[in-house]
Amino acid sequence: MKISSVGYSVRQGFKNIRRNRMFSIASVATISACIFLFGIFFAMLMNFRNMFQEFEKNLCVTVFFDEGITEEQIAQLGEQIRVREEVDNVHFTSAEEAWNDYQIDYFKGYEEARDTFGDDNPLMDSSSYEIYLSDASKQVALVEFLNTLEGIRSVYYSASTADNLTDIAVIIGYVSVVIIAILLAVSVFLISNTVAIGVTVRKEEISIMKLIGATDSFVKAPFVVEGVTIGLLGSLIPLLIIYFAYEYVVSYVSSRFGLFGNASWFLGVNDIYIYLLPIAVVLGIGIGFVGSHITLRKHVRI
Amino acid sequence: MIILENVSKTYSTGVPALEDINLRVEKGEFVFIVGNSGSGKSTLIKLLLKELEPSEGKIYVNKRFLNKITRRKLPQLRRDIGVVFQDFRLLEDRNVYDNVAFAMKVVEAPNRLIRGQVLSMLSMVGLLNKNDTFPKQMSGGEQQRVAIARALVNNPSILLCDEPTGNLDPENSWEIMKVLEEANRRGTTVVVVTHNMEIVDAMKKRTVTMNGGKIISDVKQGGGLYYED
Repeated sequence: MKISSVGYSVRQGFKNIRRNRMFSIASVATISACIFLFGIFFAMLMNFRNMFQEFEKNLCVTVFFDEGITEEQIAQLGEQIRVREEVDNVHFTSAEEAWNDYQIDYFKGYEEARDTFGDDNPLMDSSSYEIYLSDASKQVALVEFLNTLEGIRSVYYSASTADNLTDIAVIIGYVSVVIIAILLAVSVFLISNTVAIGVTVRKEEISIMKLIGATDSFVKAPFVVEGVTIGLLGSLIPLLIIYFAYEYVVSYVSSRFGLFGNASWFLGVNDIYIYLLPIAVVLGIGIGFVGSHITLRKHVRI
Repeated sequence: MIILENVSKTYSTGVPALEDINLRVEKGEFVFIVGNSGSGKSTLIKLLLKELEPSEGKIYVNKRFLNKITRRKLPQLRRDIGVVFQDFRLLEDRNVYDNVAFAMKVVEAPNRLIRGQVLSMLSMVGLLNKNDTFPKQMSGGEQQRVAIARALVNNPSILLCDEPTGNLDPENSWEIMKVLEEANRRGTTVVVVTHNMEIVDAMKKRTVTMNGGKIISDVKQGGGLYYED
Protein backbone atom coordinates (compact mmCIF):
# COMPACT_ATOMS: atom_id res chain seq x y z
CA MET A 1 0.00 0.00 0.00
CA LYS A 2 1.24 3.48 -0.86
CA ILE A 3 2.02 6.09 1.79
CA SER A 4 -0.48 8.47 0.16
CA SER A 5 -3.25 5.97 0.86
CA VAL A 6 -2.54 5.86 4.60
CA GLY A 7 -4.55 9.06 5.22
CA TYR A 8 -7.49 7.60 3.30
CA SER A 9 -7.40 4.36 5.32
CA VAL A 10 -7.19 6.23 8.62
CA ARG A 11 -10.17 8.46 7.70
CA GLN A 12 -12.22 5.45 6.63
CA GLY A 13 -11.24 3.60 9.81
CA PHE A 14 -12.49 6.48 11.99
CA LYS A 15 -15.63 6.65 9.89
CA ASN A 16 -16.28 2.96 10.63
CA ILE A 17 -15.93 3.62 14.35
CA ARG A 18 -18.42 6.49 14.19
CA ARG A 19 -20.90 4.46 12.15
CA ASN A 20 -20.69 1.53 14.55
CA ARG A 21 -20.68 3.74 17.61
CA MET A 22 -22.43 1.39 20.05
CA PHE A 23 -20.36 -1.65 19.16
CA SER A 24 -17.18 0.38 19.19
CA ILE A 25 -17.99 1.67 22.68
CA ALA A 26 -18.76 -1.88 23.87
CA SER A 27 -15.45 -3.11 22.49
CA VAL A 28 -13.51 -0.23 24.03
CA ALA A 29 -15.22 -0.93 27.38
CA THR A 30 -14.34 -4.64 27.30
CA ILE A 31 -10.74 -4.05 26.38
CA SER A 32 -10.60 -1.34 29.05
CA ALA A 33 -11.88 -3.83 31.63
CA CYS A 34 -9.34 -6.38 30.48
CA ILE A 35 -6.42 -4.01 30.59
CA PHE A 36 -7.67 -2.41 33.82
CA LEU A 37 -7.53 -5.81 35.53
CA PHE A 38 -4.24 -6.55 33.86
CA GLY A 39 -2.89 -3.24 35.17
CA ILE A 40 -4.07 -3.98 38.70
CA PHE A 41 -2.56 -7.46 38.73
CA PHE A 42 0.58 -6.13 37.16
CA ALA A 43 0.91 -3.41 39.80
CA MET A 44 0.21 -5.95 42.55
CA LEU A 45 2.78 -8.38 41.21
CA MET A 46 5.40 -5.69 40.83
CA ASN A 47 4.75 -4.52 44.37
CA PHE A 48 4.87 -8.07 45.67
CA ARG A 49 8.13 -8.66 43.91
CA ASN A 50 9.47 -5.45 45.34
CA MET A 51 8.32 -6.31 48.85
CA PHE A 52 9.71 -9.76 48.47
CA GLN A 53 13.06 -8.38 47.40
CA GLU A 54 13.05 -5.89 50.27
CA PHE A 55 12.10 -8.69 52.61
CA GLU A 56 14.82 -10.93 51.25
CA LYS A 57 17.36 -8.17 51.66
CA ASN A 58 16.41 -7.88 55.34
CA LEU A 59 15.81 -11.57 55.92
CA CYS A 60 18.56 -12.87 58.08
CA VAL A 61 19.33 -15.89 60.22
CA THR A 62 20.98 -15.07 63.52
CA VAL A 63 23.25 -17.54 65.27
CA PHE A 64 24.45 -17.31 68.88
CA PHE A 65 27.47 -19.19 70.13
CA ASP A 66 28.12 -21.59 73.00
CA GLU A 67 29.38 -19.99 76.19
CA GLY A 68 33.15 -19.73 76.49
CA ILE A 69 33.77 -19.99 72.74
CA THR A 70 37.02 -18.35 71.61
CA GLU A 71 37.25 -15.57 69.06
CA GLU A 72 39.29 -17.88 66.86
CA GLN A 73 36.54 -20.50 66.88
CA ILE A 74 33.98 -17.79 66.03
CA ALA A 75 36.12 -16.68 63.11
CA GLN A 76 36.39 -20.29 61.88
CA LEU A 77 32.61 -20.69 62.04
CA GLY A 78 32.33 -17.44 60.07
CA GLU A 79 34.54 -18.87 57.31
CA GLN A 80 32.45 -22.05 57.11
CA ILE A 81 29.24 -20.04 56.83
CA ARG A 82 30.49 -17.49 54.30
CA VAL A 83 31.35 -20.07 51.65
CA ARG A 84 27.79 -21.49 51.58
CA GLU A 85 25.87 -20.68 48.36
CA GLU A 86 22.74 -19.70 50.34
CA VAL A 87 24.65 -16.86 51.98
CA ASP A 88 24.83 -13.36 50.57
CA ASN A 89 26.86 -11.79 53.38
CA VAL A 90 27.60 -12.26 57.06
CA HIS A 91 27.75 -9.57 59.72
CA PHE A 92 29.38 -10.12 63.11
CA THR A 93 27.90 -8.38 66.12
CA SER A 94 30.08 -8.48 69.22
CA ALA A 95 28.54 -8.62 72.72
CA GLU A 96 29.43 -4.93 73.22
CA GLU A 97 27.73 -3.86 70.01
CA ALA A 98 24.70 -5.92 70.90
CA TRP A 99 24.44 -4.17 74.28
CA ASN A 100 24.93 -0.74 72.72
CA ASP A 101 22.22 -1.40 70.13
CA TYR A 102 19.92 -2.69 72.84
CA GLN A 103 20.42 0.44 74.92
CA ILE A 104 19.64 2.69 71.94
CA ASP A 105 16.53 0.69 71.06
CA TYR A 106 15.04 0.22 74.53
CA PHE A 107 16.42 2.77 76.98
CA LYS A 108 15.93 5.95 74.98
CA GLY A 109 14.43 8.42 77.45
CA TYR A 110 14.97 6.01 80.36
CA GLU A 111 18.65 6.62 80.87
CA GLU A 112 18.35 6.12 84.70
CA ALA A 113 17.17 2.56 84.17
CA ARG A 114 20.15 1.92 81.93
CA ASP A 115 22.54 3.41 84.46
CA THR A 116 21.57 0.75 87.03
CA PHE A 117 23.59 -1.73 84.93
CA GLY A 118 26.74 0.33 85.44
CA ASP A 119 29.60 -1.18 83.40
CA ASP A 120 28.09 -4.67 83.33
CA ASN A 121 27.13 -6.15 79.99
CA PRO A 122 24.05 -8.31 80.55
CA LEU A 123 24.40 -9.58 76.97
CA MET A 124 27.85 -10.94 77.74
CA ASP A 125 27.45 -14.12 75.68
CA SER A 126 25.37 -12.53 73.01
CA SER A 127 27.82 -12.00 70.22
CA SER A 128 26.27 -13.26 67.02
CA TYR A 129 26.45 -13.65 63.28
CA GLU A 130 23.65 -12.13 61.21
CA ILE A 131 23.60 -14.13 58.04
CA TYR A 132 21.88 -12.48 55.05
CA LEU A 133 20.47 -14.85 52.46
CA SER A 134 20.94 -14.79 48.71
CA ASP A 135 17.45 -16.30 48.27
CA ALA A 136 14.64 -16.58 50.85
CA SER A 137 13.69 -20.07 49.70
CA LYS A 138 17.12 -21.39 50.70
CA GLN A 139 16.62 -20.50 54.34
CA VAL A 140 15.61 -24.00 55.46
CA ALA A 141 18.69 -25.60 53.92
CA LEU A 142 20.95 -23.08 55.62
CA VAL A 143 19.30 -23.54 59.02
CA GLU A 144 19.71 -27.31 58.73
CA PHE A 145 23.37 -26.82 57.99
CA LEU A 146 23.88 -24.37 60.87
CA ASN A 147 22.31 -26.80 63.34
CA THR A 148 24.99 -29.37 62.52
CA LEU A 149 27.85 -27.00 63.38
CA GLU A 150 29.81 -27.30 66.63
CA GLY A 151 29.90 -24.22 68.89
CA ILE A 152 26.49 -22.82 67.96
CA ARG A 153 24.01 -22.45 70.81
CA SER A 154 20.95 -21.38 68.89
CA VAL A 155 19.74 -20.40 65.46
CA TYR A 156 16.97 -17.79 65.09
CA TYR A 157 14.99 -17.43 61.88
CA SER A 158 11.45 -16.75 60.70
CA ALA A 159 10.42 -19.54 58.38
CA SER A 160 6.71 -18.92 58.02
CA THR A 161 6.87 -15.37 56.64
CA ALA A 162 9.24 -16.35 53.87
CA ASP A 163 7.08 -19.30 52.84
CA ASN A 164 3.85 -17.27 52.95
CA LEU A 165 5.21 -14.52 50.76
CA THR A 166 6.39 -17.00 48.15
CA ASP A 167 3.00 -18.74 48.17
CA ILE A 168 1.01 -15.50 47.81
CA ALA A 169 3.14 -14.31 44.90
CA VAL A 170 2.70 -17.63 43.10
CA ILE A 171 -1.09 -17.70 43.66
CA ILE A 172 -1.52 -14.12 42.47
CA GLY A 173 0.58 -14.95 39.43
CA TYR A 174 -1.58 -17.95 38.45
CA VAL A 175 -4.92 -16.23 39.12
CA SER A 176 -3.94 -13.19 37.10
CA VAL A 177 -2.73 -15.27 34.15
CA VAL A 178 -6.06 -17.14 34.01
CA ILE A 179 -8.26 -14.04 34.37
CA ILE A 180 -6.26 -12.04 31.86
CA ALA A 181 -6.30 -14.92 29.35
CA ILE A 182 -10.10 -15.14 29.57
CA LEU A 183 -10.49 -11.37 29.19
CA LEU A 184 -8.07 -11.32 26.27
CA ALA A 185 -10.12 -13.95 24.47
CA VAL A 186 -13.35 -12.01 25.12
CA SER A 187 -11.76 -8.78 23.89
CA VAL A 188 -10.47 -10.35 20.69
CA PHE A 189 -13.91 -11.88 20.08
CA LEU A 190 -15.72 -8.57 20.63
CA ILE A 191 -13.36 -6.58 18.47
CA SER A 192 -13.61 -9.09 15.66
CA ASN A 193 -17.41 -8.87 15.91
CA THR A 194 -17.33 -5.08 15.80
CA VAL A 195 -15.13 -5.16 12.72
CA ALA A 196 -17.40 -7.82 11.18
CA ILE A 197 -20.34 -5.43 11.52
CA GLY A 198 -18.32 -2.73 9.77
CA VAL A 199 -17.49 -5.19 7.00
CA THR A 200 -21.18 -6.13 6.62
CA VAL A 201 -22.28 -2.48 6.49
CA ARG A 202 -19.69 -1.80 3.80
CA LYS A 203 -20.16 -5.05 1.89
CA GLU A 204 -21.25 -3.30 -1.30
CA GLU A 205 -18.38 -0.85 -1.12
CA ILE A 206 -15.88 -3.67 -0.55
CA SER A 207 -17.18 -5.70 -3.49
CA ILE A 208 -16.93 -2.63 -5.75
CA MET A 209 -13.43 -1.93 -4.49
CA LYS A 210 -12.39 -5.48 -5.28
CA LEU A 211 -13.84 -5.34 -8.79
CA ILE A 212 -12.17 -2.02 -9.52
CA GLY A 213 -8.81 -3.55 -8.58
CA ALA A 214 -8.07 -2.46 -5.01
CA THR A 215 -5.30 -4.48 -3.41
CA ASP A 216 -5.98 -6.75 -0.48
CA SER A 217 -4.16 -4.49 1.93
CA PHE A 218 -6.00 -1.38 0.70
CA VAL A 219 -9.38 -3.03 1.33
CA LYS A 220 -8.36 -4.29 4.75
CA ALA A 221 -6.44 -1.27 6.05
CA PRO A 222 -9.47 0.80 7.26
CA PHE A 223 -10.72 -2.16 9.29
CA VAL A 224 -7.31 -2.74 10.82
CA VAL A 225 -7.21 0.99 11.68
CA GLU A 226 -10.64 0.58 13.30
CA GLY A 227 -9.55 -2.43 15.37
CA VAL A 228 -6.23 -0.93 16.40
CA THR A 229 -7.83 2.41 17.37
CA ILE A 230 -10.40 0.63 19.52
CA GLY A 231 -7.59 -1.39 21.11
CA LEU A 232 -5.49 1.71 21.73
CA LEU A 233 -8.41 3.60 23.33
CA GLY A 234 -9.17 0.50 25.39
CA SER A 235 -5.65 0.56 26.78
CA LEU A 236 -5.28 4.30 27.37
CA ILE A 237 -8.49 4.70 29.42
CA PRO A 238 -7.58 2.16 32.15
CA LEU A 239 -3.98 3.38 32.16
CA LEU A 240 -5.20 6.88 32.98
CA ILE A 241 -7.58 5.61 35.68
CA ILE A 242 -4.94 3.42 37.33
CA TYR A 243 -2.38 6.22 37.17
CA PHE A 244 -4.52 8.62 39.17
CA ALA A 245 -6.06 6.02 41.50
CA TYR A 246 -2.80 4.30 42.42
CA GLU A 247 -1.55 6.72 45.09
CA TYR A 248 -4.94 6.72 46.85
CA VAL A 249 -5.08 2.93 46.89
CA VAL A 250 -1.53 2.64 48.21
CA SER A 251 -2.15 5.03 51.10
CA TYR A 252 -5.48 3.33 51.89
CA VAL A 253 -3.96 -0.16 51.89
CA SER A 254 -0.96 0.94 54.00
CA SER A 255 -3.14 2.58 56.64
CA ARG A 256 -5.70 -0.22 56.67
CA PHE A 257 -3.70 -3.43 56.67
CA GLY A 258 -0.95 -4.06 59.21
CA LEU A 259 0.91 -6.53 57.02
CA PHE A 260 1.65 -3.81 54.50
CA GLY A 261 2.02 -1.17 57.15
CA ASN A 262 5.08 0.38 55.66
CA ALA A 263 4.10 2.62 52.72
CA SER A 264 7.73 2.81 51.61
CA TRP A 265 7.46 -0.86 50.66
CA PHE A 266 5.19 0.15 47.75
CA LEU A 267 6.64 1.19 44.42
CA GLY A 268 5.90 4.68 43.08
CA VAL A 269 3.41 4.87 40.20
CA ASN A 270 6.15 5.92 37.78
CA ASP A 271 8.28 2.89 38.65
CA ILE A 272 5.35 0.70 37.62
CA TYR A 273 4.39 2.70 34.51
CA ILE A 274 7.86 2.38 33.01
CA TYR A 275 6.84 -1.24 32.36
CA LEU A 276 3.04 -1.14 32.47
CA LEU A 277 2.56 1.66 29.92
CA PRO A 278 4.35 0.03 26.97
CA ILE A 279 3.07 -3.45 27.82
CA ALA A 280 -0.57 -2.31 28.11
CA VAL A 281 -0.43 -0.20 24.93
CA VAL A 282 1.13 -3.05 22.95
CA LEU A 283 -1.48 -5.39 24.43
CA GLY A 284 -4.37 -3.08 23.41
CA ILE A 285 -3.05 -2.58 19.90
CA GLY A 286 -2.33 -6.31 19.64
CA ILE A 287 -5.90 -7.21 20.62
CA GLY A 288 -7.21 -4.79 17.98
CA PHE A 289 -4.85 -6.09 15.33
CA VAL A 290 -5.54 -9.77 15.95
CA GLY A 291 -9.31 -9.21 16.35
CA SER A 292 -9.64 -7.33 13.07
CA HIS A 293 -7.46 -9.82 11.18
CA ILE A 294 -9.57 -12.76 12.33
CA THR A 295 -12.63 -11.10 10.79
CA LEU A 296 -10.88 -9.94 7.64
CA ARG A 297 -9.48 -13.38 6.91
CA LYS A 298 -12.96 -14.76 7.14
CA HIS A 299 -14.96 -12.05 5.36
CA VAL A 300 -12.72 -10.18 2.96
CA ARG A 301 -11.31 -12.38 0.25
CA ILE A 302 -10.55 -10.92 -3.12
CA MET B 1 -7.39 -8.99 -26.07
CA ILE B 2 -9.93 -11.54 -24.76
CA ILE B 3 -9.53 -15.22 -25.65
CA LEU B 4 -11.60 -18.12 -24.37
CA GLU B 5 -10.52 -21.58 -25.50
CA ASN B 6 -12.84 -24.53 -24.87
CA VAL B 7 -14.10 -22.98 -21.67
CA SER B 8 -16.69 -24.83 -19.60
CA LYS B 9 -18.06 -23.95 -16.21
CA THR B 10 -20.09 -26.28 -14.03
CA TYR B 11 -21.26 -24.98 -10.66
CA SER B 12 -20.78 -27.04 -7.51
CA THR B 13 -24.47 -27.91 -7.69
CA GLY B 14 -23.68 -29.81 -10.89
CA VAL B 15 -25.49 -27.30 -13.11
CA PRO B 16 -23.51 -26.61 -16.29
CA ALA B 17 -23.43 -22.86 -16.96
CA LEU B 18 -21.05 -22.78 -19.92
CA GLU B 19 -20.09 -25.54 -22.33
CA ASP B 20 -17.08 -25.50 -24.60
CA ILE B 21 -17.02 -21.76 -25.27
CA ASN B 22 -14.57 -20.44 -27.85
CA LEU B 23 -14.50 -16.69 -28.24
CA ARG B 24 -11.99 -14.14 -29.37
CA VAL B 25 -12.48 -10.39 -28.94
CA GLU B 26 -9.88 -8.13 -30.56
CA LYS B 27 -8.59 -4.82 -29.30
CA GLY B 28 -10.97 -1.92 -30.00
CA GLU B 29 -13.97 -4.12 -30.80
CA PHE B 30 -17.56 -3.44 -29.69
CA VAL B 31 -19.35 -6.75 -28.99
CA PHE B 32 -22.86 -7.52 -27.85
CA ILE B 33 -23.46 -10.79 -26.04
CA VAL B 34 -27.13 -11.70 -26.12
CA GLY B 35 -29.20 -14.61 -24.91
CA ASN B 36 -32.07 -15.46 -22.63
CA SER B 37 -31.81 -15.79 -18.87
CA GLY B 38 -29.63 -18.69 -17.81
CA SER B 39 -27.75 -18.74 -21.11
CA GLY B 40 -24.45 -18.20 -19.31
CA LYS B 41 -23.84 -14.50 -20.12
CA SER B 42 -23.26 -13.41 -16.52
CA THR B 43 -21.06 -16.45 -15.84
CA LEU B 44 -18.95 -15.36 -18.80
CA ILE B 45 -18.45 -11.87 -17.29
CA LYS B 46 -17.53 -13.37 -13.92
CA LEU B 47 -14.95 -15.62 -15.53
CA LEU B 48 -13.34 -12.64 -17.27
CA LEU B 49 -13.06 -10.82 -13.92
CA LYS B 50 -11.83 -14.02 -12.29
CA GLU B 51 -14.67 -13.93 -9.81
CA LEU B 52 -15.14 -17.53 -10.91
CA GLU B 53 -12.71 -20.19 -12.12
CA PRO B 54 -13.46 -22.18 -15.29
CA SER B 55 -14.00 -25.90 -14.81
CA GLU B 56 -12.18 -26.51 -18.09
CA GLY B 57 -10.46 -24.51 -20.82
CA LYS B 58 -8.16 -21.51 -20.94
CA ILE B 59 -8.91 -17.80 -20.58
CA TYR B 60 -6.59 -14.96 -21.59
CA VAL B 61 -7.30 -11.28 -20.95
CA ASN B 62 -4.78 -8.69 -22.14
CA LYS B 63 -2.19 -11.43 -22.61
CA ARG B 64 -2.67 -12.56 -19.01
CA PHE B 65 -3.41 -16.25 -18.55
CA LEU B 66 -6.23 -16.09 -16.02
CA ASN B 67 -6.10 -19.75 -15.02
CA LYS B 68 -2.65 -19.20 -13.52
CA ILE B 69 -2.91 -15.65 -12.23
CA THR B 70 -2.19 -15.35 -8.49
CA ARG B 71 -4.36 -13.58 -5.94
CA ARG B 72 -1.67 -10.94 -5.58
CA LYS B 73 -1.75 -10.12 -9.30
CA LEU B 74 -5.55 -10.03 -9.45
CA PRO B 75 -5.88 -6.27 -8.73
CA GLN B 76 -3.62 -5.52 -11.73
CA LEU B 77 -5.89 -7.56 -14.00
CA ARG B 78 -9.03 -5.85 -12.72
CA ARG B 79 -7.58 -2.35 -13.05
CA ASP B 80 -7.45 -3.00 -16.75
CA ILE B 81 -11.15 -3.93 -16.94
CA GLY B 82 -13.95 -1.44 -16.22
CA VAL B 83 -17.27 -2.96 -15.16
CA VAL B 84 -20.81 -1.57 -15.40
CA PHE B 85 -23.78 -3.33 -13.78
CA GLN B 86 -27.50 -3.32 -14.36
CA ASP B 87 -28.17 -1.92 -10.88
CA PHE B 88 -25.42 0.77 -11.19
CA ARG B 89 -23.88 -0.14 -7.80
CA LEU B 90 -23.05 3.43 -6.82
CA LEU B 91 -22.22 4.38 -3.22
CA GLU B 92 -25.34 6.12 -1.92
CA ASP B 93 -23.49 8.13 0.74
CA ARG B 94 -21.19 9.83 -1.77
CA ASN B 95 -21.90 12.40 -4.43
CA VAL B 96 -21.21 11.93 -8.13
CA TYR B 97 -17.71 13.35 -7.98
CA ASP B 98 -16.74 11.15 -5.00
CA ASN B 99 -18.23 8.04 -6.58
CA VAL B 100 -16.01 8.48 -9.62
CA ALA B 101 -12.97 9.63 -7.63
CA PHE B 102 -13.43 6.55 -5.40
CA ALA B 103 -12.34 4.31 -8.29
CA MET B 104 -9.07 6.24 -8.58
CA LYS B 105 -8.50 6.30 -4.84
CA VAL B 106 -8.88 2.56 -4.43
CA VAL B 107 -6.26 1.93 -7.09
CA GLU B 108 -4.07 4.44 -5.23
CA ALA B 109 -3.74 6.90 -8.10
CA PRO B 110 -1.72 10.03 -7.28
CA ASN B 111 -3.96 12.69 -5.70
CA ARG B 112 -2.84 15.40 -8.13
CA LEU B 113 -4.26 13.42 -11.06
CA ILE B 114 -7.63 12.59 -9.56
CA ARG B 115 -9.54 15.86 -9.94
CA GLY B 116 -8.68 16.49 -13.59
CA GLN B 117 -9.37 12.91 -14.63
CA VAL B 118 -12.70 12.72 -12.77
CA LEU B 119 -13.96 15.96 -14.26
CA SER B 120 -12.89 14.88 -17.72
CA MET B 121 -14.86 11.62 -17.35
CA LEU B 122 -17.93 13.45 -16.02
CA SER B 123 -17.72 15.74 -18.98
CA MET B 124 -17.60 12.75 -21.34
CA VAL B 125 -20.78 11.25 -19.85
CA GLY B 126 -22.43 14.70 -19.79
CA LEU B 127 -22.72 15.10 -16.02
CA LEU B 128 -20.17 17.82 -15.31
CA ASN B 129 -22.88 20.08 -13.86
CA LYS B 130 -24.06 17.35 -11.45
CA ASN B 131 -20.83 16.51 -9.69
CA ASP B 132 -22.12 17.33 -6.22
CA THR B 133 -25.46 15.54 -6.65
CA PHE B 134 -26.14 12.29 -4.75
CA PRO B 135 -27.21 9.11 -6.62
CA LYS B 136 -30.69 9.08 -5.03
CA GLN B 137 -31.40 12.52 -6.53
CA MET B 138 -30.68 11.30 -10.08
CA SER B 139 -32.58 9.37 -12.75
CA GLY B 140 -31.58 5.80 -13.59
CA GLY B 141 -29.95 6.92 -16.80
CA GLU B 142 -27.87 9.51 -15.01
CA GLN B 143 -26.82 6.99 -12.37
CA GLN B 144 -25.72 4.58 -15.06
CA ARG B 145 -23.69 7.32 -16.71
CA VAL B 146 -21.94 7.93 -13.36
CA ALA B 147 -21.24 4.19 -13.19
CA ILE B 148 -19.73 4.31 -16.68
CA ALA B 149 -17.58 7.30 -15.74
CA ARG B 150 -16.40 5.34 -12.70
CA ALA B 151 -15.64 2.28 -14.84
CA LEU B 152 -13.63 4.35 -17.34
CA VAL B 153 -11.83 6.76 -15.03
CA ASN B 154 -8.77 4.50 -14.65
CA ASN B 155 -8.45 4.18 -18.43
CA PRO B 156 -9.09 0.44 -18.65
CA SER B 157 -8.50 -1.21 -22.00
CA ILE B 158 -11.70 -3.26 -21.67
CA LEU B 159 -15.18 -2.19 -20.55
CA LEU B 160 -17.55 -5.00 -19.51
CA CYS B 161 -21.22 -4.01 -19.23
CA ASP B 162 -23.67 -6.46 -17.66
CA GLU B 163 -27.19 -5.46 -18.78
CA PRO B 164 -26.38 -1.74 -18.61
CA THR B 165 -29.81 -0.71 -19.86
CA GLY B 166 -31.78 -3.37 -17.99
CA ASN B 167 -33.32 -0.86 -15.60
CA LEU B 168 -33.71 2.04 -18.04
CA ASP B 169 -36.39 3.38 -20.36
CA PRO B 170 -35.66 3.47 -24.13
CA GLU B 171 -34.60 7.11 -24.16
CA ASN B 172 -32.08 6.65 -21.35
CA SER B 173 -30.92 3.37 -22.86
CA TRP B 174 -29.94 5.19 -26.03
CA GLU B 175 -28.08 7.80 -24.00
CA ILE B 176 -26.06 5.03 -22.38
CA MET B 177 -25.30 3.41 -25.73
CA LYS B 178 -24.05 6.70 -27.07
CA VAL B 179 -21.67 6.98 -24.13
CA LEU B 180 -20.45 3.40 -24.66
CA GLU B 181 -19.90 4.09 -28.33
CA GLU B 182 -17.91 7.18 -27.45
CA ALA B 183 -15.74 5.13 -25.09
CA ASN B 184 -15.21 2.60 -27.89
CA ARG B 185 -14.35 5.39 -30.33
CA ARG B 186 -11.67 6.51 -27.87
CA GLY B 187 -10.09 3.05 -28.06
CA THR B 188 -11.68 1.02 -25.28
CA THR B 189 -12.77 -2.52 -26.12
CA VAL B 190 -16.45 -2.73 -25.14
CA VAL B 191 -18.35 -5.94 -24.33
CA VAL B 192 -22.06 -5.47 -23.61
CA VAL B 193 -24.25 -8.24 -22.26
CA THR B 194 -27.86 -7.31 -22.98
CA HIS B 195 -31.46 -8.35 -23.50
CA ASN B 196 -32.29 -5.17 -25.37
CA MET B 197 -32.86 -6.45 -28.90
CA GLU B 198 -34.00 -3.10 -30.23
CA ILE B 199 -30.62 -1.57 -29.46
CA VAL B 200 -28.67 -4.59 -30.70
CA ASP B 201 -30.63 -4.54 -33.96
CA ALA B 202 -30.11 -0.85 -34.47
CA MET B 203 -26.44 -0.57 -33.61
CA LYS B 204 -25.16 -3.17 -36.09
CA LYS B 205 -22.23 -4.32 -33.98
CA ARG B 206 -20.72 -7.78 -33.66
CA THR B 207 -23.23 -9.94 -31.82
CA VAL B 208 -22.56 -13.20 -30.03
CA THR B 209 -25.69 -15.20 -29.17
CA MET B 210 -25.72 -17.70 -26.33
CA ASN B 211 -28.22 -20.36 -25.44
CA GLY B 212 -28.01 -23.04 -22.77
CA GLY B 213 -24.39 -22.23 -22.00
CA LYS B 214 -23.24 -22.45 -25.64
CA ILE B 215 -22.49 -19.91 -28.34
CA ILE B 216 -25.04 -20.54 -31.05
CA SER B 217 -24.09 -17.70 -33.36
CA ASP B 218 -21.44 -15.03 -33.78
CA VAL B 219 -22.39 -12.38 -36.34
CA LYS B 220 -19.87 -9.71 -37.27
CA GLN B 221 -22.44 -7.04 -38.16
CA GLY B 222 -25.30 -7.72 -35.77
CA GLY B 223 -28.97 -7.13 -36.25
CA GLY B 224 -32.15 -9.07 -36.62
CA LEU B 225 -31.93 -12.65 -37.67
CA TYR B 226 -29.39 -14.12 -35.35
CA TYR B 227 -31.38 -14.58 -32.19
CA GLU B 228 -34.30 -16.75 -31.20
CA ASP B 229 -35.59 -16.73 -27.68
